[in-house]
This record gives sequence, C-alpha cells and structure tokens, in this order.
Amino acid sequence: MNRQEFKDLVIAETEKTKNSTCKHKICICCGAGCISSGSEAVMKKLQEEIIERGLQSEVEIIPTGCMGPCNQGPLMKYLPENSIYQKVDCSNISQIVQSQVIEKKPIEHLLLFADSRERPFSNADEDPFFSKQLKIVLKNCGQLNPERIEDYLVHEGYRALDKALFEMSPEDVIAEIKQSRMRGRGGAGYPTGLKWETVYKYVNDQKYVICNGDEGDPGAFMDRSVLEGNPHRVLEGMAIGGYAVGASKGYAYIRGEYPLAIKRFEAAIKQAKKMGLLGPNILGSNFSFDVEVRIGAGAFVCGEETALIASIEGKRGTPRPRPPFPAESGLWGKPTLINNVETFAGIAPIINNGGEWYSEIGTPKSAGTKVFALAGKINYSGLIEVPMGTSLREIVFDIGGGIQGGGEFKAAQTGGPSGGCIPAEHLDVKMDYEALVNLGSIMGSGGLIVMDQSSDMVDVARFFMEFCMDESCGKCVPCRVGTKMMHDLLQKICDNNASRIDLERLEELAVYVKEASLCGLGGSAPNPLLSTLRHFRNEYETRIGKYEEKHIEVPQTSEV
Amino acid sequence: MNTIDIKINERSLKVLPGITILQACRDNGIDILTMCHLKGLSDVGACRLCLVEIEGINKLLSACTTRVASNMVIRTDTEKIKRYQRITTELFFAERNHVCSVCVANGNCELQELGYKVGMDHIRYPFLFPECKVDTSHQYFVMDHNRCIMCTRCVRACSEVEGAFNWDVKNRGFQVRVISDFDTPWGESITCTSCGKCLQACPTGALWSKDVVQGQLEKHPEMITELVEKRKLLLT
Repeated sequence: MNRQEFKDLVIAETEKTKNSTCKHKICICCGAGCISSGSEAVMKKLQEEIIERGLQSEVEIIPTGCMGPCNQGPLMKYLPENSIYQKVDCSNISQIVQSQVIEKKPIEHLLLFADSRERPFSNADEDPFFSKQLKIVLKNCGQLNPERIEDYLVHEGYRALDKALFEMSPEDVIAEIKQSRMRGRGGAGYPTGLKWETVYKYVNDQKYVICNGDEGDPGAFMDRSVLEGNPHRVLEGMAIGGYAVGASKGYAYIRGEYPLAIKRFEAAIKQAKKMGLLGPNILGSNFSFDVEVRIGAGAFVCGEETALIASIEGKRGTPRPRPPFPAESGLWGKPTLINNVETFAGIAPIINNGGEWYSEIGTPKSAGTKVFALAGKINYSGLIEVPMGTSLREIVFDIGGGIQGGGEFKAAQTGGPSGGCIPAEHLDVKMDYEALVNLGSIMGSGGLIVMDQSSDMVDVARFFMEFCMDESCGKCVPCRVGTKMMHDLLQKICDNNASRIDLERLEELAVYVKEASLCGLGGSAPNPLLSTLRHFRNEYETRIGKYEEKHIEVPQTSEV
Repeated sequence: MNTIDIKINERSLKVLPGITILQACRDNGIDILTMCHLKGLSDVGACRLCLVEIEGINKLLSACTTRVASNMVIRTDTEKIKRYQRITTELFFAERNHVCSVCVANGNCELQELGYKVGMDHIRYPFLFPECKVDTSHQYFVMDHNRCIMCTRCVRACSEVEGAFNWDVKNRGFQVRVISDFDTPWGESITCTSCGKCLQACPTGALWSKDVVQGQLEKHPEMITELVEKRKLLLT
C-alpha cells in the first residue's frame, strides 16, 4: 500500500464508521483483568441478547482493552452516553439492554462505583476517577478493538508514522522528541530524545530497535494493559523510532506471563504487515522496518536492558557491565535503541501534536503523563494516567477513592522492588522523577501499591528483598550473596531476633550492594529497605528493642 | 605509538588507548584485586573486586571492563574501595564452604591469597553453607561445588580457549551452580575433552585433579594466558 492508498483507506474507514447504522455502541473490557472476572461470558451473553431482540443493525459490540477501574470488572461501557457498568453479570444483561438501549435510561445501581459513591455518574468522564486523569498513552485503550487495525486507523492510527516518513527527516523526528522533553518510562527517566540521537549518531549498516515489555514488578500492569489495549500504538512508536535512528529491524520482548498481550501484539504485526505499514518500503517510502516478538521466559532480571539483549541473542539472561551502552554496542554488538512499552506508546501523539504540546504537560523537569498501576489497600484499584506533578494525595484519594474500609493511609510503594515507600507526611509530593528520588524512592515503571496501617514496613522490606534475592541472576557477588544476607537479616528482625549490631550490618550491606552491584537490579535492590529505614525507622527499633528486652540484662541499681 | 594521558592514584601515566583500566594498572605495577579476570579470557565484571572510582562518574566501575579514555582520573585505593573489597571477600567466604585447612588448594589458592591481601581476620556474616555436591564422576578430575565462587573462569576457558562448551551455569541468585553439559555428571559429558584447562583457570580448590591430596594442588592460570597469546601470534 502506498501513501495515497493509505489515505484513501483511512477516509473510507472513517466514513464507514460515521455512516454506520449502529446508533448504540457497547464496549466490553477484554483486558486480562476483566477477562479473569468473566467478561468473555458477558460478551457472549450480550451478543445472544442483541440477536434475540433483533438489534444487530443498531447495536455494535466492541471488545476493547483496559478501561481503568480494574477491580470493578467486568466493565461494560455504553456509548455515546459514556455510561460504564461495573461488575456486570450475565444475569444483568437483559435488564441493561432493556433499560439503557431501548428505554435510554441508565440503571443507577449498576453504574460504576454505584456501591461506594452517593450518586454514580451516568457519564463516567465526570467521575473523579476519570476527570482527574489525562489520557495520552491510554487514550484509545477501552475505546477500540485492539484486534482490528481499522479501528486504530479511525483513531488517528499510523498518522504519525505517515507524517514522520513523508514530512520529516530522521533529524526532525529526533528534534521533535527532544523538544517534547519526554523521559524514558521504563523507570530510570533517561531523556528519550537524547537516547534516540545517540543511537542515530553511531554509524552502522545494521541497527536495532527493542521494545522492553518484560514488566516484572510485583503489582505493575501498565505495559500489559497498553500491549493488550492498543498494540498498534506501540508498533507505530517502534517504527517511528526505527526511522529516526536508522534501524530496519525491531524486537518486542514481552514476558511469557502475558499470553494475551503476546497474542494481540503478534496479530497487530500481521495486520500492519498486510497493510504495508510494516515490512519493506513502508507506504512506498525508502524505509523498511520489520518487528518480531521475543517471549521472556520468566526472569525479572531480563527487564534490565543488557540482560534482555543477551536473552534475545539466545544466551543466558544476565546483565553485562556498561559502558558500552546498548546505544553503542547492543544487540549482536550493533547500535540498539531500547525503550519501554509506555515510551513507544507515547511517541505517536508527540509526532502528531508536536513536541511543544507535550512539553507543556507535567512539571519543568518531567514532561507529559505517567501511567500508574494502582494496587493495594485502595478503593478503586486499576490503571490510571495522570500528568507528571500530580500529587500523591490526588492519586490516592481523588482518583483511587481513598483507603479500603475507611482505613488510614500509611505509605505508598512506588517503583516495585527497586523503589521505596512514601509515608503519609509526604502525601502532597508532586509525583515526578526528581521528587520521588528526593524521598528515597523512584518513579520506576509505574507500580503504585497503597498500604494502610495493617502493613508492617519491616515485613514489606523483607518481602521485596526476598523478591530481589530470588530474582538476582547470581552473576555478581554483591547482589548474589548480599541480597541473601540482607534478606536473612531482615527475617531476623521480623522474628524479633536481631540486635543493634545486625541492624548496623544491614545498613552497611545495603549501601555496599547499592554501589557495588553490576546492574540495576542489585543497584536498586536495597531501596525498599533504605527507604523504610528512612521513614519508618521506629518499626525497626521496636523490634530490636524487643530482642534487647529478652537478651540483654540491664544491671539493676543496687545499694552501695 | 600513540598514547593517551591518564591518572591513576595521582600518578600521571601514558597508556595505549583502548586498553582496560585493569590492564593499565597491571602494566604500571599498580596492584588491583580481581577473581573473575584472567588475561586471555573475556571479561565479565562479576566479582566486583576491581571496582574503581573515576572522576566525573558517580558510579563505581569495574576496571576489567572499562576502557581508559583520555585524561581519565582514576582511583583504586580509596577507603570506600578498600572497605568494599573487604566486604566482597567476606561474602565470598561466607557463601559456601571455604575451610582452607581441608582444601586441596590450601597454600595455592587465589581466594585464600585475597583474604590475606584485604586483611580479613574474621567474617562478620553468617556462613550459609548451602548443600553442594562434589562431582567425582570424571576419570581424572573433581568438581567440588563447595569451593566454587562462580567466577566462571572455567566456563570461559572451556568455551573460548578449548571450544568444548562443557561448562555452563544453571539457576539464579545464590542457587547458581556451574554445570557440565545439561547438568549431568561430569564423567558422562559428551563435550568434555579432558584437556584440564578449566582446572588451570580455576582460582580455588573447586576444580582439581584426582592425583593430588590436601594442600598439594598447584595451579597455573598463566598457562591459559600464554596459550591465548601464542595462538594470537600464530594467527598474525
């Protein structure tokens, strides 16, 4: 397909949607979360219901990606009114169709958050859960059928790739990304434009683009939802990246635990190839780009870029020291651009709307929006996207609806096993890369676990240390033995069996492992420990006090 | 020949561009500790003993994998580095069973020597003593996993110098073990050529020959280096 044919196709598809006889659209969330709570059965029942009532020509049923409030699933959205129904059950279907589709009346007690809000909103966008969000990366998640490229084309799909290929030089694309001030969403926050430029500058006849979808933090599901909900957006971002840095081959490394994401992404590649949006001479230009999926076998460390590259090469997935960085010597020793799923998903809007538009969102040092996976003791857990600089309070209380059971907020854990805990006194922190580092945590890839008073912070530190200990690749000594030693010491503290000397040793080890480890896994493994020590030291002290009470005899004052 | 200026521990040096910091130190008589480096084999930066501080870089980098650059200012002897070397050494000793008095390599062991060098008089961490096997199935050699420090010098010697690919690594974290073929007894290996290079590459008493007794093991890791250098000469 050449450029003109592509444009014609987009116009034709858009017309088709406009002129559709279907006045009603019902979206059913078919993300992994809603599927596990039974959305597929709901969709089947709905299809039967529509056929039974003979409404096929009026109602269109769209299976979509994640809509956001995951713990209220299965979710069902009725358009154009934008009413979302929660915890939809096969037994509700008939009632919903009768009332919403035929009588045009929403059923209040089935609407989203009906069980917790005084009055649920019949237009979900007015609900604080949505109104406080700004969706750029997730814009079309929950609106379009991720398994149909035509749906994406109607929603500005591949328009950015077309623009980049025919109206911009690779330098222009890089300049646009640099101007956007976007930073890598994988966790470290390295400026995306700068990374692209570095790869671009290395001269080599073969370069690679890698999309890191090996999301492994406990409680994180941002990348999974993006890959499931809008795989074409990621693919488009990768192709634009390939064009900008001069790569002709891309790999998407997706963890094996995400079968649905893999299936949808592979289907997306097939569709894009068929339309000539991937493969040789894309849209008739000189640019050729091909993408293959590589499936991760379950090692957390393979999310580290050099380990991921080793894994793609078919080697044991262990990191290697940097420098040289992948931009210079990456996959098979060639210059390689490696970005996270969310980073690639954010590229197309920047090309479409301009870098300046993006740079105005967020804070001076962290532009744009960030997707968070809200989990833990929060009323509305799920997937959200907010501008950088949104305060933690807004995220937890306005969007997340506060603590379950009216409990008290104790801490929020960000960045997974590489991050730290933010205590209640810092609830007003404006979430961006720097602010979180200043608090001893990190932005990370976007996992946000909310904890209430029932959480024991020493045990939290122990849990994350256990995770790092199990997931350490075992290559370097500080991480292999250090995480084991730290875990054992933390276990000792949890058992009220540790003395003050153990705590000192633990602190020394933590700093050592952080600084001496080979890769980011070991380098950040002590973070949960260090941050809980910083903000909740009293919990450690209490346990050590209990040990001292038992084992150290305090000399009684005796008469002289 | 073109040289570049660098500074190591306040000493101004002229070194060849492209060499590693470790090489620059060794060429100039600056002592640098390492366990996983063996000249002639590829470098992996795993033992973290050769960490150095470089001005302008806020991370410690391994000298064996970092190449010198013009006007680099390097320190190998700061208090922090010495402290970390000591911790690393202690962790080595605490990880598996390293009781020297009953070891074949006693007196000829790089790990033991490391202990002396960093002045390790006691170990502050609990001994983990994981259950490790001793593989005596090979006709001539023994692999004692209790003494293994996972430097992977044997793995690299076997694949890079002998080209046999007998050794590899299984599992992760502190459960990593060196394995023969697909984790089968060494004596049943279909790839091992019984060349003995892994024995020479091994810095400890993990790999040894059945004809030695306690304290009698002699190792010549420089043999690997010489072999590689001589092959290079042959090729040029």
